[in-house]
Amino acid sequence: MKRRLWTSLIGVVLITLSTLVFNVATDNTPILGLDLQGGVSVILAPVEPATEQDLIIIRDLIRDELERRGIAEPDVRVQGQTIVVDLPGVRDQDEALSAVDVSGVVELRPVLNFSDCPAPEATQPALGLGDETPSTGSAPDTSVEPTGFRRPQAPPADSIPGDTLPADTLPDGPVDIAPAPTQATVPGAELLPTRDGSVLCVGPAQGTGEVFEKGSAQLTGDQGWGVAVDLRGDGQATWNNLASQCYNAAPTCPSTQPGVRGQIAIVLDSIVQSAPQVNQPNFTDSVAITGDFSRDEASDLANVLNRGAFPVEVEAQEARTVSASAGTDSLRAAVIAGLIGLVLVLVFLVAYYRWLALVIVGGITVWAAMVFTMASFVSGWTNYALSLAGVTGIIVAIGVTVDSYVVFFERIKDELRNGRTIKNAAPRSFNMTWRTIWSADVVSLIGAFILFWLSVGSVRGFALYLGLTTICDLLVCYFFTRPAVLLLAQSKLMAKRDHVLGMNVATA
Amino acid sequence: MTLDTSVSSSGLGRLFRGQTAIDFYGHRKIGLVSAIVVVVVTVLSLATQGLNLGLDFEGGDAWDIPASETFGVDEAEAVLQANDISTTGARIQLRSSETSDIVTVQVEELPREQAAQVTADFAEAAGVTTQDISFSFTSSTWGREITEKAARALVVFIIIVSIFISIRFEWRMALAAIAAMLNDVVFAVGFYSLFQFEVTPATVIAFLTILGYSLYDTIVVFDRVNENQGRYAGVRMPYEDVVNISMNQVMMRSMLTSFSSIIPVVSLLILGSGVLGAVALQEFALALLIGMISGVYSSIFIATPLLAYLKRDTGRKTRRDRMVGDDLRAAVMGAGVTGRVGDQRASSDEPHDDVDDDRELVGSAIAQPADRLLTHPPRPRKKKRR
Repeated sequence: MKRRLWTSLIGVVLITLSTLVFNVATDNTPILGLDLQGGVSVILAPVEPATEQDLIIIRDLIRDELERRGIAEPDVRVQGQTIVVDLPGVRDQDEALSAVDVSGVVELRPVLNFSDCPAPEATQPALGLGDETPSTGSAPDTSVEPTGFRRPQAPPADSIPGDTLPADTLPDGPVDIAPAPTQATVPGAELLPTRDGSVLCVGPAQGTGEVFEKGSAQLTGDQGWGVAVDLRGDGQATWNNLASQCYNAAPTCPSTQPGVRGQIAIVLDSIVQSAPQVNQPNFTDSVAITGDFSRDEASDLANVLNRGAFPVEVEAQEARTVSASAGTDSLRAAVIAGLIGLVLVLVFLVAYYRWLALVIVGGITVWAAMVFTMASFVSGWTNYALSLAGVTGIIVAIGVTVDSYVVFFERIKDELRNGRTIKNAAPRSFNMTWRTIWSADVVSLIGAFILFWLSVGSVRGFALYLGLTTICDLLVCYFFTRPAVLLLAQSKLMAKRDHVLGMNVATA
Repeated sequence: MTLDTSVSSSGLGRLFRGQTAIDFYGHRKIGLVSAIVVVVVTVLSLATQGLNLGLDFEGGDAWDIPASETFGVDEAEAVLQANDISTTGARIQLRSSETSDIVTVQVEELPREQAAQVTADFAEAAGVTTQDISFSFTSSTWGREITEKAARALVVFIIIVSIFISIRFEWRMALAAIAAMLNDVVFAVGFYSLFQFEVTPATVIAFLTILGYSLYDTIVVFDRVNENQGRYAGVRMPYEDVVNISMNQVMMRSMLTSFSSIIPVVSLLILGSGVLGAVALQEFALALLIGMISGVYSSIFIATPLLAYLKRDTGRKTRRDRMVGDDLRAAVMGAGVTGRVGDQRASSDEPHDDVDDDRELVGSAIAQPADRLLTHPPRPRKKKRR
C-alpha cells in the first residue's frame, strides 16, 4: 500500500515535471487570444455592392465556416463595406489569407450535356478537361426526389425527407421524354468540371444557394446516404421554376439520356458538386437528394448547401497583423495579480493548516504545471486560444482547486475531534472527500463538455479551459494529494506532533 | 486520551472548531425574501433600462487612422479620453502590413456631431486630413446565433446536470441546486442591468463561470447533507435538523473556500485593474466577485432551505420541535464521525429514562462522539509472536 502511494506520488510529480520541461525546452506555450496577443486580420470586400444585411449574413457564414475548419474564436465583423476577420494564433499573413478563403457562391444551373458545350462562346476548357470522355458515374446517379410525394397534397408538416419511394414507382407524370435538342445553343452555357474529374456542360445560373434555408441541410441515411434541405419561403419559386423546366425536359434543361429527366447542377466555385435528376416539378418546403452517395460525399454536399447562402461573392483584399485588443499589459497584469492572489491564499492556508498545508503548496504547484502543459498541447491541437477570459477563468479555478484540500482537511479535523488518530483519520477522510470532489467536479465536466459541444466562439474556448482545469484538479487530488497526505499521516513525524492542522491532538 | 470538547466562548472560536449552531432552516425566510427581491429588481431593471450591451453585441463606430511614429495606440486612447469617451468599452488596435500601419479605434455608437468631432481630433493628433481617416459603422462580432447556441447549450446543460444530480443524490436536490444557480445568474444579470455596466463577451464568460462555481459549491454542501441523511436513518431525525446540522458542519469549509476563491479575484480587481492599470480586467473581475459572493450565499440561504422545504414531508414524523441552540450545537459536534447514529434506547445506561420518546432520540442523536466511539475500551492489540 505504502509503496503504491509512493509510486503514485513520485510518478505524478515526475510526469508533470518532465512534460513541463519538455514544453519549456521546445518553447511550446499556449496560443494566446486576440485580446492578449493580437493575430492576423484579413479584410474581405464584396465584389459587387452589397447591402448591410447581406454583409451580416456573410459574416455569420464566414464565422461558421472558420469554426468548422477548426479555426477557433475568430473575430468577424462588418466594418463599412468590408468584412474584417481577425484570427488568433495564426502566424503569418499568407496562412491567414488561405484560411479565410471561404468565399464562394453556390449556383444552381441546369445540366445541358455530358460532354461538350454546343455554345461556342461559352466553352472554356480552361482546366484541360474539355475532350475527356464523360463519365456518367456520379452525376446522373443522384436524383432529387420529392419529399412525401405519396401525398402530394399533404401539408408541409408531413413532408418528411426519407418518406420516399424509388423514382420508378412514380405513378403519375409523363414517362416519355422528348429527345433533347442537344445541339441547341444556350447562351451562357459553360463546361464545368465535376468533383470526380469529369465534365458537365451547364446552362446559366438560375438561382443561388440562397433558395435553401440556411443551415437546414442534413444527412439522411434511410436508403443510402442522402441530403435533405429546406427551401426558404422566397426561394421556393426560384427552385420550382428551375425544377419544373428540368422535370419537363424543357430546352433550357434537357434530358441528357433517354428515360431520364433533366438534372440540376449544384455548382460551387465553378465545380459541379452534384447534379441530381429532378423527379418532381413542384417542391413544397423541402428537397431530398438521394442517390449513390458515400457518407462523406453526402456530408460534403450538405456542407456546401449549408454554406451556400452567400448572397454575394467576397474577395480577400489584404492581410495585416493586428495588435492585442485588451491592451498589451493585460496579460502581465492578470498573471501578476493572479500570482499575488495565489500567494496570499497559500500564506493564509499555511497559517491556518500549518504543516499539512505544505501539501497544498505542492499540490497547487503540480496543478499549475499540469494546467500549463495541457493548455499548451490542447491549444496547439484545437486552435483554441487562451484569451483574457480564459486566464481569469484559470485564476478562478484556483479557488475550486483549493476547495478540494479544504474539504479534505476539514474532514480530517472532524475525525480528529472525534478522537481518531491522524493515521486513522486520513484514509477515511479521503474516501469521503473523494466522493464529494468527484460529484462536484463531474458536474463541472458535464458543463464543460456540453458548452464545448453545443456552443461556438469564445464560449467554447471557455468550456475547454474549464474542462481542462477540472480534469487537472481531479488528477492532482487523486494522484498527488491522496498519497502525500496519507504518507504524511503514517509517518513518524506526524505521530509525534502535538498539533495537527492547527488542532491540539496531544495524547495524554 | 483528552479531547478538547469544550465549547468556545467566542463566535469565531466556535466557527474554527466547528461548534456553530445557526438555525439556517429557521432563517429560511431570508433566502426566500432575498430571492424574490433579486428577481423582482432584475425584471424591473431589465424591463426599464435593459442591459448595456457592448461593442461586440451591438456594433458601433470605427475609425481607421494612419499610424505614424507620433501617433499610435496610446495617442488614440488619449484622444478618446479628451472627448470623454470611456476607454473600457473601446477597442484600439494597431494593424500593420508591409506597406502601411493603421490604428483601428472602435467605440460604441456615438451621436453624429460627436463622431465628427472625434474624427477631427484624430486627424489633428495624427497630423493628417480628415479625408485620410476612414470612418464607418462596425457591426457586432457576437451574432444572435452565438447567443442562441449558448442559450441552447445552457438548457441542455441544466437538464443533464439535473439528471446527474437526481441519480447521484435525488431530484429534490437537483431542483434546489438549479434554483440556487439560477438565482445567482439572475442576480449577476440584475446587477449589471441596474448599474448599467457594460456587457462584453468576457462578462458572459464570467456569468458562465459563476454558474459553474455556484453549482459546485451547492453540491459540496449537498454531499454532506446526503451523508448525514444516511447517518440519521436509524433515528427519527426531522429533515430540517439534518440540514441544519450539515450546514453548520460545512460552515467552516464554505468560509475557507469562499475566502480562497475570492482573494485571487479581489487581487485581480485591485492590483490588476487598479494598480497595474489593465482596465480590461476590471469588469470581468467585478462580475466574478459578485457572482462568487452570490454563489456562496445561495448555497447556504437558498439551496438548502429549499431542499429542507421540499423534503419536509418525506421524513418520519416527530412530535418535537426543531433542535436549536445547545442541542443543535451538540449534534453538530457529535455527528462529525463516520458511521451511523444508532438508536440507543436499547442501552440501559441511558440516563433519560423519564423523558419522553422523542426527547430521548435527540439525546441519542447528539450523543458525544467520544462516548459513542469509545463505549468499550479499545481491544488490546495482540502482541506479535516473535
